[in-house]
Amino acid sequence: MSITIPIGPQHPALKEPISLRMTIDGEVIKDADIRLGYNHRGVEKLFEGKTYIQNIYVAERICGICSHSHTTCYVNGVEKLSGLEIPKRAAYIRVLIAELERIHSHLLWLGVAGHEAGFDSFFMYTWRDREIVMDILEEISGNRVHYAINTIGGVRRDIDETQKTKILNHLKVLRERTQYYKNLGTNEPSFVARLSGVGKLSREDAIALCAVGPTLRASGVDMDVRKDDPYNCYEEIPFEVCTSDTCDVLGRTVVRINEVLQSYDIIEYVLKNLPAGDVRVKAPRKVPEGETVSRYEAPRGENIHYIKSNGTDKPERLKVRAPTLGNYPATVAMLKNGFIADIPLIFAAIDPCICCAERMAEIQDVKTGSTEIKTFDELKKYSKKFDKHTEHKKDVEWPL
Amino acid sequence: MTEEIIINKLKELSGGKIIEAVNPSTKRIYIKVLPENLIEVISVLKEKLNFLHLSTITGVDKGQTFEILYHFASKDSVLTVRTEVPRDKPEIKTITSIIPGSILYEREIQDMFGIKVLEIPDPRPLLLPDDWPAGVCPLRKDFKYQRPEEIIPGGNK
Amino acid sequence: MAIVKTFFYLLIYPGVLFLFVYALFCEWFDRKAYARLQNRRGPLHTGKAGILQPLADYIKLFSKEEIIPEKADKIMFTLLPVFGLAIVLTSAMYLPIWNYSTTKIGFNSFPGDIIVLIYLLSLPTIILFLAGWHSTNFFSEIGGVRVVTMFFGYEIPLLLSVLSPAILAGSWRLSVIAQFFQSNPGLLIVNIIGFFIALIALQAKLERTPFDIPHAETEIVGGTFAEYTGRNLAFFRLMTDIELIVGSGLIATVFLGGFPGGVVSSFIWFIIKTLFVIFLLSVMKSAFSRLRIDQMVKLSWYILAPLGIFQILITLLVKGVIR
Repeated sequence: MSITIPIGPQHPALKEPISLRMTIDGEVIKDADIRLGYNHRGVEKLFEGKTYIQNIYVAERICGICSHSHTTCYVNGVEKLSGLEIPKRAAYIRVLIAELERIHSHLLWLGVAGHEAGFDSFFMYTWRDREIVMDILEEISGNRVHYAINTIGGVRRDIDETQKTKILNHLKVLRERTQYYKNLGTNEPSFVARLSGVGKLSREDAIALCAVGPTLRASGVDMDVRKDDPYNCYEEIPFEVCTSDTCDVLGRTVVRINEVLQSYDIIEYVLKNLPAGDVRVKAPRKVPEGETVSRYEAPRGENIHYIKSNGTDKPERLKVRAPTLGNYPATVAMLKNGFIADIPLIFAAIDPCICCAERMAEIQDVKTGSTEIKTFDELKKYSKKFDKHTEHKKDVEWPL
Repeated sequence: MTEEIIINKLKELSGGKIIEAVNPSTKRIYIKVLPENLIEVISVLKEKLNFLHLSTITGVDKGQTFEILYHFASKDSVLTVRTEVPRDKPEIKTITSIIPGSILYEREIQDMFGIKVLEIPDPRPLLLPDDWPAGVCPLRKDFKYQRPEEIIPGGNK
Repeated sequence: MAIVKTFFYLLIYPGVLFLFVYALFCEWFDRKAYARLQNRRGPLHTGKAGILQPLADYIKLFSKEEIIPEKADKIMFTLLPVFGLAIVLTSAMYLPIWNYSTTKIGFNSFPGDIIVLIYLLSLPTIILFLAGWHSTNFFSEIGGVRVVTMFFGYEIPLLLSVLSPAILAGSWRLSVIAQFFQSNPGLLIVNIIGFFIALIALQAKLERTPFDIPHAETEIVGGTFAEYTGRNLAFFRLMTDIELIVGSGLIATVFLGGFPGGVVSSFIWFIIKTLFVIFLLSVMKSAFSRLRIDQMVKLSWYILAPLGIFQILITLLVKGVIR
């Protein structure tokens, strides 16, 4: 007897809404189907109505964790269109933030993988150390998640010597912890038993289904945009592309941990060889007519933006392909003939990121049931009005 | 392999099916083909020139025509195959037989531009809801969004 | 007088009231130990060091709305948690803590009570299966099936491991087994393999990580508990908490020499020994990731069951030597 069970749109294993329909027979999955669109915000349409500068902030909000990836990809494309050469120091700072973001994303993923496998201790430990990266990012950019460091023509903030030494000190701790996780994640018997041999994706399938990022590299294909199509001075920075031949979830874990270790090396190189000079050049508001394809290696894989300009200060068309979409066909192939118990692991192994948030708030009055739509300014006024009536607590101590 | 060699080789292998080939910057190639020659050119790209990875498919509304761009990537270069279909008869053949991973991008194009992808194995909408009105294509330039009237199920009895 | 004593035994100590209070304490202890092992703080705010947090959780659950699925069998759905709680409360009666004698046969101590206790402890599994099945939810049904599949895995190793101290003591009576080991504490070392088998089997019986397969939240939402809310869920949680005490009490009795002495000293021994067992279970919970159902069954049949038989062989040899 086979039944269809819905995994999602709301399910504890998924942090964001997506619907996976599984046809199962006993504990074995016979067929899988993915239904998207629960979180579609029409960002591509939104891009067409905003100026290039405004679009940086829209691009930043495509995804929370890859916020730097989307802006860098977009900004690189726009700079190429308008023929701008950014200062080397700016490119290095972009690389620095990008690699910190990669560490942050991969440590987060490790924790999630532990949680999906029921290994909550691993989850708690990696997420504690992820805080260190968040602190570094806050130190540099002032924000923990949306760094807002990119602008057309360079970066918005410079780093100084004290910040450099601080980052290097933090890195020492992180490197030690990551070695420990590598040891733990690849040697702990019950964890390895859950990961190895799960979600097989052969090299041929991975290429045919156009998988990207660690999913592809764990199947033995050494595709990395940083090496194949270097941007932001990546051609000057020595690093290795991490691959694995095991083609399973364990391989994806190993690839990610090795990438984190590579990122530490890149950051050290960048900090030691940071060129002097300005961090940005002045950019014109209007972009000449043209088109370009901008690629970027996000933590989850290849991120691609196609930008078409029409000579005004607004783009004609801006196509965004986030890495997760490229991995969905491969996920369906991986899920088939697996166990129910492996669904969260296989799905989490592509590091899915189904992005979020709407731009317009809708307020529903509970008593009358009437709906009114408020613009952002009205909301701001409303919050200020609300704020006046609440008392401010002074010197509040954090209960811990 | 530099861009020059790739373009020459492609022209040679496809036998005059390339209408236009430009190389505006390093590692970027744009070629233009007719919709009926698309599959042939793509299979040449995949089998002879090692462009195995399809990054994405982009649709652009150009007024009278829709431009469809297939972005391919290999170790050497990024190649964009450009083709145009008329607005009054927006139809294109699927390339899933050559590149199975293109299915989601083709479904997205179908949703967003109303371009009919012929012989697609799975024609359901990808991103739009199931009750989306037919013939309304959000990414066409003539689409203007209007917030539908809110109906709360079970409310306001 | 005897009737008053029996009523006191059933209702206050070590009956319902004591078990309820101690179950709350054990849950707090387990949560705190688990949290500290994971580098967290655990409950902090309710009471001193969060000691009242489990009570607060129960009060919250009891005050929540109860939702019964439309297609579910309403009588079974609401009665099963109460049955489960009643069964584990009954099983607690057989632990030799107080008011028992090793010679006279009473209602709570007689030859063969170890079998009755194990039998009563296996009933909650059936209750959980029925609860999952009667919820008429896909996830609950899968959870229910997993409960039964796991039951076939861990029950035999548990029985085999508990058998060996009984053979060594030459009795099927818990109080006699405990007394035997109290007078020969050196012989406890013989059962060391059995002790660990019993710990693993108990962990599986209580469905805690690495054996929380039937209600793995990331896989099958809440499994057997997916449809349970409010009071019914609270009963199930209380059932699991009391089962934890009874299970660790059983292990403490047969493997750690029971609870010697009068009212006060047996009480202290009971607390110390059960907390020790619960602490070991918490360590196990934090050190492993969840197994798959096939791996779990394989583990119990390929490793635990043969080890249990090996333990019995050792016990038989030792028994031959000491005679």
